[in-house]
Amino acid sequence: MTFSSDPRGSSLAADDTVEWDAPVMRAETGPCESESHRECDHQGNLGSRLKLRALVVEDEPADVELALRALRLADLKVTADVAQTAAEFSEMIRKNSYDVVLADYKLPGWNGMESVEILRREELDVPVILVSGALGELTAVECIKQGAADYILKDNLARLPESVRRAMREKKLREEHKQSREELARSNRDLEQFAYVASHDLQEPLRMVATYTQLLAERYRGKLDSDADKYIHYAVDGALRMQKLVQDLLAFSRVGRHSLALEHIDGNVALQEALKNLEAAIQESGAIVEQAQLPVLVADCSQLAQVFQNLIGNAIKFRGSEPPLIRVSAELMGKEWILSVADNGIGIAPEHADSVFVVFRRLHTRAEYPGNGIGLSICKKIIEQHGGRIWVESEVGHGSTFRFALPSKQTSKQ
Amino acid sequence: MKNTPEILMVDDNPADIDLTSEVLAQSEGHFHVNAVNDGVEAISFLRRQGKYAKAPVPDLVVLDLNLPRKDGCEVLSNIKADPSLAKIPVVIFTTSQASSDISRSYKLGANCYLKKPGNLPEFVAVVQSMAEFWLGFASLPQREKR
Repeated sequence: MTFSSDPRGSSLAADDTVEWDAPVMRAETGPCESESHRECDHQGNLGSRLKLRALVVEDEPADVELALRALRLADLKVTADVAQTAAEFSEMIRKNSYDVVLADYKLPGWNGMESVEILRREELDVPVILVSGALGELTAVECIKQGAADYILKDNLARLPESVRRAMREKKLREEHKQSREELARSNRDLEQFAYVASHDLQEPLRMVATYTQLLAERYRGKLDSDADKYIHYAVDGALRMQKLVQDLLAFSRVGRHSLALEHIDGNVALQEALKNLEAAIQESGAIVEQAQLPVLVADCSQLAQVFQNLIGNAIKFRGSEPPLIRVSAELMGKEWILSVADNGIGIAPEHADSVFVVFRRLHTRAEYPGNGIGLSICKKIIEQHGGRIWVESEVGHGSTFRFALPSKQTSKQ
Repeated sequence: MKNTPEILMVDDNPADIDLTSEVLAQSEGHFHVNAVNDGVEAISFLRRQGKYAKAPVPDLVVLDLNLPRKDGCEVLSNIKADPSLAKIPVVIFTTSQASSDISRSYKLGANCYLKKPGNLPEFVAVVQSMAEFWLGFASLPQREKR
């Protein structure tokens, strides 16, 4: 319904200078376009002459008038629509774009908190300020918990303008945060696409360089001078190493190019797959892998196997003087499973605990330990795509324990 | 006396044609490598059209997938759809490892799918094994009289 005391019919104008578009037109502009944001200065502060459009959920016309007057007195330019029933409310929020909802709590047939629920269902981010008679502390706190932006007593309307301003500021921050998250995600996707295309397309010319420098080495060894042999050897070596790097980069950028096959899987199955792939390394090193019973996890089985394989493979590779002893275990902590791969290897200095997960980051020369520093970065990417996290606890000379946390229920993206 | 086996190699990369020819020249068997650089040429060669009127009938086709004008899969389906060519074994020899390319090739009737290795020792091994298997061990159909 519309409030009948408004001489212009459909909306209540607290300031006659305000010119609103027709409601239909406004419905076409997204919530981000609302007038209040155009009033922001470049620091993102809301100007004192804030224009806003409110939806007042109230069955008492006098109370609507009082609330709007309070805002007008505080220099807020408000236009307002009024909804009395849940159906009217739903229709109006779909049709129009509002900056704020001012809702009475007790209404005939429903209560103001239901408006919070309706907005959430419609996926609309409009702050709801309860403007109500005394509710009692418990109810008030519960309303805030359920998502109301604030709670104002009808006999303390002087607080309303600041509450509205704060709700506007918070909403603006949420939108900015969301926007920067989206921008970040987009630029990450672009980067990954670039890495994929670059590594894919580099392979072919590299293959030519590698095979033909090798052919030169084979055919002309000892026929040129000794410098030539050495130079050709450098070229072959460089080409082969670059090939491995490009392949690793491609493997890294492939992770997550296809959506994860998330399902309930037996963690032991993933572990067994990893151990099977590591069979030769385990035998050759004399490694002992102690396996605790692993739980059912929500994960992509082959990706999880890849994580186990990289972690256990590292435990074998970076072994100390003793034969590798590796313990794989799991523990439920709150809503997460924490899986651990602990070894008795050479360990990692605490200052490198984060950098080991960075792509192509290595702590040793290739002569000491081969590899390009891709394994842990792949683990990190996989675990993060599962909505989890991975870290290491270690001390030089005292082994390392890699742990990763996976949500115990299906909450991760994709 | 047995005729020298004829290989048709279809590849737009002259470096791969040279390398393959080199490896085959060094190997024990005697082969004759005919090379064309795109899919249209390949079909003209096989159908003995234009300048290929006197071309030999190949015993084996070594086919790259990524080709100008007419890509490898098209060439492959042309060969397998032509009764006079369908029985010639076709080995796909390409850099692609995409599982979609592999299964598509076999569905279209490829007889073998080999990935071009990135280094010389493996390249030599693959080409030699291919020639040894297809032109040594395998029994091949008689060449079509045309």
